[in-house]
Amino acid sequence: MLAPIGLLWKPIGMTANSMSAADDPRRLLSELRTLARRVRLEQRMTWVALLVLAAVTFAAIPVDWFAMQVRCHPDGSCEFARQGMLYYWPPATLLAYGAIAFLYLRAARSRGLGTRVLPYAITGAVTTVVFPAAWLAVRLYFQSHPYPDGPLPYWYFVLDRLVMPWGMIGVTLLLLAWLERSPGLLLFTSGYLALVLLVLPMGDGFGAPHFGVRAGMAVPQAIAGLVLLLGAAGFRAVQRRHR
Amino acid sequence: MTGTQDEDAAHPANGLDEVVHQRVRLGILTITHEARRVEFGYLRTQLELTAGNLSKHLSVLEEAGLIEVEKGYEGRRGRTWITLTALGAKALADEIGRLKKLIARVEDR
Repeated sequence: MLAPIGLLWKPIGMTANSMSAADDPRRLLSELRTLARRVRLEQRMTWVALLVLAAVTFAAIPVDWFAMQVRCHPDGSCEFARQGMLYYWPPATLLAYGAIAFLYLRAARSRGLGTRVLPYAITGAVTTVVFPAAWLAVRLYFQSHPYPDGPLPYWYFVLDRLVMPWGMIGVTLLLLAWLERSPGLLLFTSGYLALVLLVLPMGDGFGAPHFGVRAGMAVPQAIAGLVLLLGAAGFRAVQRRHR
Repeated sequence: MTGTQDEDAAHPANGLDEVVHQRVRLGILTITHEARRVEFGYLRTQLELTAGNLSKHLSVLEEAGLIEVEKGYEGRRGRTWITLTALGAKALADEIGRLKKLIARVEDR
């Protein structure tokens, strides 16, 4: 027979399988749910994923800054090309998701647990392909089609930001929230996605007169990195309190 | 009389699996379901069992084909890893379903 003490399971002999009290099934189910939740909490390394992604985001800023080609015209308008992003992000995201998967597995293993991190690593790899593929597709499309005269619709900007590396980071974080069944991460990711898709000008940067072209591009990236970093610190603090 | 027999036959408690319907074994199945793979020591700590007791329960589950036990070494240290089989995952889901039905039946009365 087993006598539950709080959330733990204290064995008293181990032979009988009694279920005498009418409320036992409910208590049993409740204990199983608690046990499952505890295992899930011990597997979580959300802060590590956020920290790695913040590091990759911050490291992209100088790459973008120095690799950007800017050509300004006498009328004050400027043209720019962010080729560096295309060369930086695919290998950087592959390395980042590989590192996250490795750190998750190592931490879980040291606690005596396995973990379901493979779907996350696969999604990371897929998004690595999606970003340059989308970039190339848009480039090829506008080579044979003229830019529309009127202002582009708002959804175009949202879609453009979604296939950018910062939007892809949000998509993989959504998957991580689902894998970890973490409402906290879901909430955080929703806020992050709203920021990088709807608020920050990730594609065009903040413009004149307050910022130059390079600084205007760097600031939204720094904000996105800072949000990821703050998220990592927050999830780390919550995890420490739970253990 | 027939009505009572039919009612008994349909009672969710009659379908409970003797191998699975045991707190410790349900605990083992639940943990392995969440973690995919679990080390013996982790199970022992979480379920607060002696090594001997846990081994007995693992043997029952392994014989029923609900888990797989894999022994190996990590450096010089012996490690035993437990993995839930597809049959084990189904048995756990069925058991939880029956427990929910049982609760619903008790609440209906």
